[in-house]
Amino acid sequence: MSIQNLNTRDPFADAIKGNDDDIQDGLVHIRIQQRNGRKTLTTVQGLSAEYDLKKIVRSCKKEFACNGTVIEHPEYGEVLQLQGDQRENICQWLTKVGLAKPDQLKVHGF
Amino acid sequence: MDAEDGFDPTLLKKKKKKKTTFDLDAALGLEDDTKKEDPLDEASADAGAAELEDNLDLESFGKKKKKKKKPFNMDDIEAAVPSFGGEDATAATEEPEEEEINLDMDFSMAKKKKKSKKKDLDELFADKLDDDKGEDKENVEDNSSTWAGSDRDYTYDELLKRVFEIILDKNPDMAAGRKPKFVMRPPQVLRVGTKKTSFANFMDIAKTLHRLPKHLLDFLLAELGTSGSMDGNQQLIIKGRFQPKQIENVLRRYIKEYVTCHTCRSPETILQKDTRLFFLQCESCGSRCSVASIKSGFQAVTGKRAAIRAKTT
Repeated sequence: MSIQNLNTRDPFADAIKGNDDDIQDGLVHIRIQQRNGRKTLTTVQGLSAEYDLKKIVRSCKKEFACNGTVIEHPEYGEVLQLQGDQRENICQWLTKVGLAKPDQLKVHGF
Repeated sequence: MDAEDGFDPTLLKKKKKKKTTFDLDAALGLEDDTKKEDPLDEASADAGAAELEDNLDLESFGKKKKKKKKPFNMDDIEAAVPSFGGEDATAATEEPEEEEINLDMDFSMAKKKKKSKKKDLDELFADKLDDDKGEDKENVEDNSSTWAGSDRDYTYDELLKRVFEIILDKNPDMAAGRKPKFVMRPPQVLRVGTKKTSFANFMDIAKTLHRLPKHLLDFLLAELGTSGSMDGNQQLIIKGRFQPKQIENVLRRYIKEYVTCHTCRSPETILQKDTRLFFLQCESCGSRCSVASIKSGFQAVTGKRAAIRAKTT
């Protein structure tokens, strides 16, 4: 067992890591909304504005075989909106592609 | 501690058992989680029971019959009194070695004995499921007694059990921490018509959680992404179709975020508002931390756009 206090911790590790912006900061909220009948919508809020959301939604649509769009919101910025319950899919996809870490994803809804 | 980690398979098992019980505690006794734990627990109980039986066999040849008999027969007599009380009582006073002889001589006696043994095991299971403290204690007693009388060396395993028992005896708080003391009733969720859901015992649940109904209501509606309100007889009407299971999931998330202490996971907390932020103050460990505010975030348009346009203009 090593003594934790003597471990040298680089105080600038976070700053250095922030430079290569593979992964965004902040939480990604994944929500679900009920529509009429059994239909649902999945919204993905909080993806970094540096990404091209249009490209993301294009590949999401292909991957999950659903329709989707990017919505401009004055407060929340660009929000992905996908048809159907894609919460599982989008979580896996975001981590697989490396856009977000699993602990950054916050899944809401039932 | 890491040196002893791979020390003994039984020790490892013990560790595992401990962990599951803690998890159970973490889950706050919501039924679903206990259900999930059951097979594991049962398995460990099985192991424990088998161990116990081993001990039993060992001890019947040794000299510590009296001690062994005590937990064994207490239950037995209780269970067997209505049918054959006297007989069993005499059997109880007899020594186990004699029972072995009886086993050969008297068939009915042997059968009964066997049955009672099985019953004992069953009771052990039940004990285990309800409250593993009792089982543990018995185990510990067995183990401590196995080496207390003789001069053989004690093993690490026995000592570990012993120390746990002492800890449990000295502070009952910890014992409380091991079993779920926070039992929630499941939410009663019914469909009202086709598009609305009623959450009948919403007030009760808010009361058991010691939270303002409004706070819980805000959270539920924000998480589910719908609207809803309280109706005349104190039940919550939510727009949309929801299963009890789904509501339970959301409630579990609420409890995790806003009810249990983030440091010690005790449910005895107060939620207070301080300069626009909610703080969770723990009653048992005294920690105080801020909790996330309830935000419903982006809400997509699900209604009829024409109706919305008509409303705005």
